Amino acid sequence: MRFFGLGKYRVIVLTVAMFLVFDLGVLVLNFVISSQIAADALAVNMAGRQRMLSQRAAKTLWQISERAAAGQPAGGETAELAEAVSLFDETLTAFLQGGSIRGGAGTTVTLARIDDADGIAILQRANAVWAPYRARITTLLANPAPSVDEVRSTLDVAHSANLELLKLMNELTSQVEVTAAAKATTLRAVQIGGITLATANFVLILFHFLRKLRQGDALLEQAKKETDDILVTVNEGLFLLGRDFRIGSQHSQALEAILGRKDLGGADFVDLLRGIVTEKTVGMSRDYLDLLFGERVNEKLVSSLNPLDVVEVHFDDQRGGFVTKYLEFRFNRVREGGVVAHLLVTANDVTKRVQLERALKEAHERAKGQMDLLVEVLQVEPDALRDFLAAAALCLDKVNTLLRERTASATDRREAVIAIYRLLHGLKGDASGVGLSGLAEAIHDVEDLVVALREKHASLDGNDFLPLAVRLERLFAQVDALRGVVNRFAQIRGVVAVEPARPATETDAAQAPLVVRWREFATRLAEKHGKHVQFHYHGIDPGKLASPYREALPTVINQFIRNAVVHGVEAPAQRLIQGKPAVGNLALYLAARDDGGVDLSFRDDGAGLQLAAIRQAAIDRGLLSAAEADACDARRLVELIFKPAFSTRASADEDGGRGVGLDVIRAHVNEWGGNIRIGSTPREYCHFRISLPRPSPQLSAGAAPAHGEAA
Amino acid sequence: MDEQNIQIFIDGVKNYFLQQTGVAAEVGTPYLSDAQARVAYEYTGIIGISGSSRGCVYYTAPGALLRDVLLRIGESDVTPANQSDLAGEVANTIAGNARREFGKDFMISVPVVVSGGAERISLPPDLRAMVVPILWRKHAAALVVALAGTS
Repeated sequence: MRFFGLGKYRVIVLTVAMFLVFDLGVLVLNFVISSQIAADALAVNMAGRQRMLSQRAAKTLWQISERAAAGQPAGGETAELAEAVSLFDETLTAFLQGGSIRGGAGTTVTLARIDDADGIAILQRANAVWAPYRARITTLLANPAPSVDEVRSTLDVAHSANLELLKLMNELTSQVEVTAAAKATTLRAVQIGGITLATANFVLILFHFLRKLRQGDALLEQAKKETDDILVTVNEGLFLLGRDFRIGSQHSQALEAILGRKDLGGADFVDLLRGIVTEKTVGMSRDYLDLLFGERVNEKLVSSLNPLDVVEVHFDDQRGGFVTKYLEFRFNRVREGGVVAHLLVTANDVTKRVQLERALKEAHERAKGQMDLLVEVLQVEPDALRDFLAAAALCLDKVNTLLRERTASATDRREAVIAIYRLLHGLKGDASGVGLSGLAEAIHDVEDLVVALREKHASLDGNDFLPLAVRLERLFAQVDALRGVVNRFAQIRGVVAVEPARPATETDAAQAPLVVRWREFATRLAEKHGKHVQFHYHGIDPGKLASPYREALPTVINQFIRNAVVHGVEAPAQRLIQGKPAVGNLALYLAARDDGGVDLSFRDDGAGLQLAAIRQAAIDRGLLSAAEADACDARRLVELIFKPAFSTRASADEDGGRGVGLDVIRAHVNEWGGNIRIGSTPREYCHFRISLPRPSPQLSAGAAPAHGEAA
Repeated sequence: MDEQNIQIFIDGVKNYFLQQTGVAAEVGTPYLSDAQARVAYEYTGIIGISGSSRGCVYYTAPGALLRDVLLRIGESDVTPANQSDLAGEVANTIAGNARREFGKDFMISVPVVVSGGAERISLPPDLRAMVVPILWRKHAAALVVALAGTS
């Protein structure tokens, strides 16, 4: 700002100053001239008084003369004459020289000297007439007893001077009036001129500044429109944040959509965050804003601390849920006079970007996680795996159904625990059977929970099942993940398959997928337990069995294999001592009868049923007292192996020992209306024979077995 | 979804009934339900949860239960509006309890009450919800927890 710091206001100040100067000039002139007019009015008045005094002097002189003629002495007339002469004389002198004289009512007034030539001439003529006249009157008044002649001679002088003086004083009065009128005219001209100038000045101000104001308004309006256009058009949320953390009066329209609310001007930014981010983030944000408004820290250095760089926000959807978005807030200091006055905040909705990033990351991590699954899955025959996973989902559904429907009383809950155990055990066996060891281990862990429930002596309440339900959900998730991998794998295989489809041929039953799977399972399980077995199969292709046998028999056979390998077949060294080949033999025979029924035979050349071990296990598990066990015949002892939770193994692992397995087989067979027979010779063999009738329509339709489990 | 978190919600409901009515609520056996088989009674108080876990939790109860609770706590107004408010109050108690227990990493929404069928309750479509039956004086109700961990 230049010119006394007035800047753009310089012109208006000058113009207003001019206006004041004009007004002041007019006022001063007004004052001066009006003073002069007042003086002129006095002069007119005094000139008029001179006319009166001249006549009074003449009249008084005549009265004195009359008294003298009548022989009477002069009375008050002498004093009156003296007074009139004195006043006339001093007034005439004042007109000529200026000075104070007596006015009316004993006051003193100052009379200005008459300066104009006409006035001076009149006064000089009047003085010429007045001087001898005054001298004769003065002489007369000096004589206290003038004679009649003396008075008459003075009266004669008065006769000759009086009319001249009256005429001259009339002229003087007229002259003074003319002078005063001229001055009044001047005053009016000055006033008109001054007011005209002042008005012109005012008009100038008015037009000049109206134009300026209009220009300024137009510029402001244009600037505002441009700003509004920017704020309406820009995709980012833009606003200024004050030191009190309040949003400025202006913000971009996009901000309302980004923050999901209106009326943002003046709103407290931290309060606004409080509803949409966690309290922890709110606290961190406040600290960060304090940091930015502080002068000590470098803006760029602390930008990495911004807790709102990419922040997850949650808007209440008014339906008991949240709409989740990801927002990005950037802050830049705005300085005024070197001090941080505001923060310019840029807000962006980066939801799509973040979701894409997360989806990519999740896909990457899922792919990594699925690699292990994929490796496992690749080793399993695809159809068998698909069948298993479908059956696994069904099995978990059954567990869930038991939790939902079979838990009304404590007794129900106990029975549900046993049923759940059977289902999970069967599922675990099948998982092992198809080679999904990871899933088998997970199921084994869930079995631990079920064992804990089963062995809990106190009454089971609903809350006790919470961990089981949570883990059931995880098993579901695992099975879902496996199904996802299988589906993807199938898609990939479908896309990249280059090998032409082989013509359909009669598959050798011994090479049927299920049989191959059983063989591999038996071999793998035996290796795990340090044994060697050979799996032999005769009979029909198990894949051609009628439903539900096709789905459920693999579970039964898995249990036979597990039971035979874990409990039956001896270790190679033991077998050699007993004169047997080191490799144990498992033989499975499966036949479809003409009546639609199925015969199954499973035989192993292992240790056979060990009645002594069964007897001891029955005592250990409280199923029989020692006396009862001793009295028990072989047939009744053998029956015990079909009891729930019966096992001769001292400790449980993934493959056996919990005593669940044969009871699962029995439950299936009973449900299907079949029968099961056992033949065994100690140290020679164990042979199970199952005869199943033609499946009933209900079973074929997939009715849920009461104690069953999926294959 | 882990049992500790779910237990906090269960305890919230149990505490509410014990403190408000003096009669303890009995927890049934939890099970899973998917989006196609939502559990819902007449009135449902829902709270949304976000942060380390996300999804929703709701308490759903029949009008008869809510009416009995109202009478039990000395409330003579047992109109549907008041029953609905009560469902919201239970949800609010669950929310308050959860806020205390979960700390600052969670966001918990203001409870919303819906009345009517399950179709009005929106759950994440790919999530199995944990249904915890809650019995109070032989009235069946349920707490449903549908939460997924964040990645």
